[in-house]
Amino acid sequence: MAVETRPRPPRTPARRRGRTTEDGRRALTAGHALVIAVLALVLGSLLNAPGLHKSAYNQPEGWKRDVALALTGPLADVSHALLLDRPRKLLQAALGRSGEDRIDTTIALPPATPAATTPAPSTPPATTPPVGATPPAPQKPRKQAFSPRRKLRLWIAGDSLVITPGWAIVRAAGRARAILPLGSGPDARVATGLERPDVFNWFSYVAAKARTLRPNAVVLAFGANDDHDYMTGVPEGVSIGSFGSPAWVREYRRRVAGMMDTVNRAGAFLVWIGLPITRSETQTQRFDTINAIVESEARKRRGRVVYVDTYATFASDSGGFAQYLTDDAGRTVLVRAPDGVHFERAGGDVIARMVLRALNEKFDLTSWRRKARR
Amino acid sequence: MLFPTATFALFFLVVLPLSWLTMPRPHRWRPFIVAASYVFYSWWDWRFVFLLAGSTLWNQLLAVAIHRSAVPARRRLLLVVALAGNVGVLGYFKYYDFFVSSTDNLLAVVGLDLPVGLRSLVLPVGVSFYTFMAISYVVDAYRGDFEPVTLEKFAAYLSFFPHLVAGPIVRPGELIPQLETPRDPRSVDTSRAFYLIATGLFKKVVIANYLAGAIVDDVFGAPGQHSSLELLVAIYAYAVQIYADFSGYTDMAIGIALLLGFRFPQNFDSPYTAVSIQDFWRRWHMTLSRWLRDYVYIPLGGNRKGELLTYRNLLLTMLIGGLWHGAGWTFVVWGGLHGVYLAAGRLRRGRKEAPPTGLALWRRRLVTFHLVCLAWVFFRADSFGTAKDVLVGLFTRWDAASPLVGTGVVLAIAAGIASQYLPARLPYRLMERFSRLPVPAQAAVLALVLMVTSVMGPEGVAPFIYFRF
Repeated sequence: MAVETRPRPPRTPARRRGRTTEDGRRALTAGHALVIAVLALVLGSLLNAPGLHKSAYNQPEGWKRDVALALTGPLADVSHALLLDRPRKLLQAALGRSGEDRIDTTIALPPATPAATTPAPSTPPATTPPVGATPPAPQKPRKQAFSPRRKLRLWIAGDSLVITPGWAIVRAAGRARAILPLGSGPDARVATGLERPDVFNWFSYVAAKARTLRPNAVVLAFGANDDHDYMTGVPEGVSIGSFGSPAWVREYRRRVAGMMDTVNRAGAFLVWIGLPITRSETQTQRFDTINAIVESEARKRRGRVVYVDTYATFASDSGGFAQYLTDDAGRTVLVRAPDGVHFERAGGDVIARMVLRALNEKFDLTSWRRKARR
Repeated sequence: MLFPTATFALFFLVVLPLSWLTMPRPHRWRPFIVAASYVFYSWWDWRFVFLLAGSTLWNQLLAVAIHRSAVPARRRLLLVVALAGNVGVLGYFKYYDFFVSSTDNLLAVVGLDLPVGLRSLVLPVGVSFYTFMAISYVVDAYRGDFEPVTLEKFAAYLSFFPHLVAGPIVRPGELIPQLETPRDPRSVDTSRAFYLIATGLFKKVVIANYLAGAIVDDVFGAPGQHSSLELLVAIYAYAVQIYADFSGYTDMAIGIALLLGFRFPQNFDSPYTAVSIQDFWRRWHMTLSRWLRDYVYIPLGGNRKGELLTYRNLLLTMLIGGLWHGAGWTFVVWGGLHGVYLAAGRLRRGRKEAPPTGLALWRRRLVTFHLVCLAWVFFRADSFGTAKDVLVGLFTRWDAASPLVGTGVVLAIAAGIASQYLPARLPYRLMERFSRLPVPAQAAVLALVLMVTSVMGPEGVAPFIYFRF
């Protein structure tokens, strides 16, 4: 039986050389393009396997994370067995970024102590009056004073919601002159929080920073990425349940309280910026749960922790979400970002004023002006 | 769906073979690519797919009506209606709150209140880009430069995902003819495509993201807290950041289109080697400058109506260009500054001068770069207060410490600028050598680039600056 075949084009030198582009480069077929893309991605995935596995681990809980972990776990093992993870590690070491692929879920918190027994930092020690003496009139405790020569050391940190208010605080601190913002600005890590130490371990980070920076005051903002059913670093045998359940609230409260104690034990006063009202009602309700935990923990540490309530400030006259507010000069100003969650510059300025008010209530940041005038 | 993400990689690995498989039958390929592009677009917000579809229908309907009409007045009316629709959509989503709050604040000065509420609208990603492309299509149909095509072809042109969210702004005459005939699967310019994707990725992830985190965001966040040296270096760093960010994105877009068999126009040509502002605009966001020239400057009269009106036209064109970038007065000032620069350049060109060489050439490059940097201050600043703090601080705090000016920052800025002075032949030689490598070796080189980019880049995926526009 005769087999019908298509006539083949003659094998000319040009055909043997293959096709070229207008610039004289070798052109390949679409099939080759696909093969190169697939091979590059497979090999690239093997070379980057530890980083991919960490990214998969850090994803929000759900089927996508499960699939990503199921794929990247074995990939990381194969990469390690074939020593293909070595170039990445060597390059990381050369750049001083070793350990970036490590997944850390340890939550190191100071041992829980009754809140009332912890001494308030920078508060003068209480003196006992001698027996028989007339008790003096109750005095307001003297505030610790700071001046441009001896500035209040302020560290600002948190998730993405701290960025704009943080910069506003830094600007306001510059005008106040008695405050020294530590670092080059707010120490923010986008998409992090207290729920997922594997994404970023704030517990060990804040403890380390408090030790090395020795701040007098710390401004923190957390919670915007913590409204989920899933947490890592949960103690053995503890189940947290769904968001807002008693077990969830208990575990989150433990973390918030631990964070507050970490800061206080380093001798610093803590200002915790609460979560604002958002465009989404559901999200706002979830934020309310988190705010309630933070506020109640702050109340237990009166004099050492202050909670800045941003909710009402950013609500409209009708109590709903407001993207614009009227400022002191009567101008309409944009205070919230288009995403309905983050702040615009004017919104940051509003929060900065609230934070500075809290710092002024706690510390004496202005008497140096009067002394300087004399 | 951002290009440098695993999600896009998976999306593209599905689209690439299916696109080539359906390519021989364009009537199958076009619906496929429209569907793929709509999936790509819906990744941000599925609701805006309806806006894209609505824009497609509106412009197609009016372009065809303009083409069919032989009555000049009617054609003109239809064009005005089409433009009003496009500008209306852009104005509503992008500028409504800006104009209402600006008017409200202006009236507040004389004690009046504007009885119009603000809308707090979310800006659909890419709307500025595809609206400009849609305007090109309708205006070209009106001018008779381009005959409207079928709805299927126009939908593929407008939504083609490589250019959809941040350009380049491709003209109908450049892309639609390519969409009409199947691309040749036996001849794909893979070396150029992969070179552009790899360098674009490196520019975005390593250079732009690093500079943003290491100095730019810190300094522009609180300029009053930084030394004059930090301010100066942050301005240079921003010049490099925005170039690496935007040109990196368009390099990737052009490379991805090439892998699918399509050619996009060049969008950047070493802009910081420009010897004048006019030269800069021939090298920076070239597809936007072409668009502004052909659809704003020339219709305004261009340089055909005398010197004074030419200056007016230059200024108006650049003000519109500034406003296109963002709904804010700082963007208007940025555009206005470039308008003034261009007008001053034109005034200067009136005096006959020989083309600069040697030291004069470098002096002009230096002056042009610094004029561009001065305008970038307004582009980056979130308010006039910040811009003022940056500019005043440049002269007042030279004695303060500059901890942010580290070796990494200086090297990244130097690399970003020096790369533009490399011989033009060098990339072609690299591509040529890459193209001669066997297929597995090409894949290995790309995998290494992926690894280096992943390690050197900051954690996370930062959004592209131009996605906001």
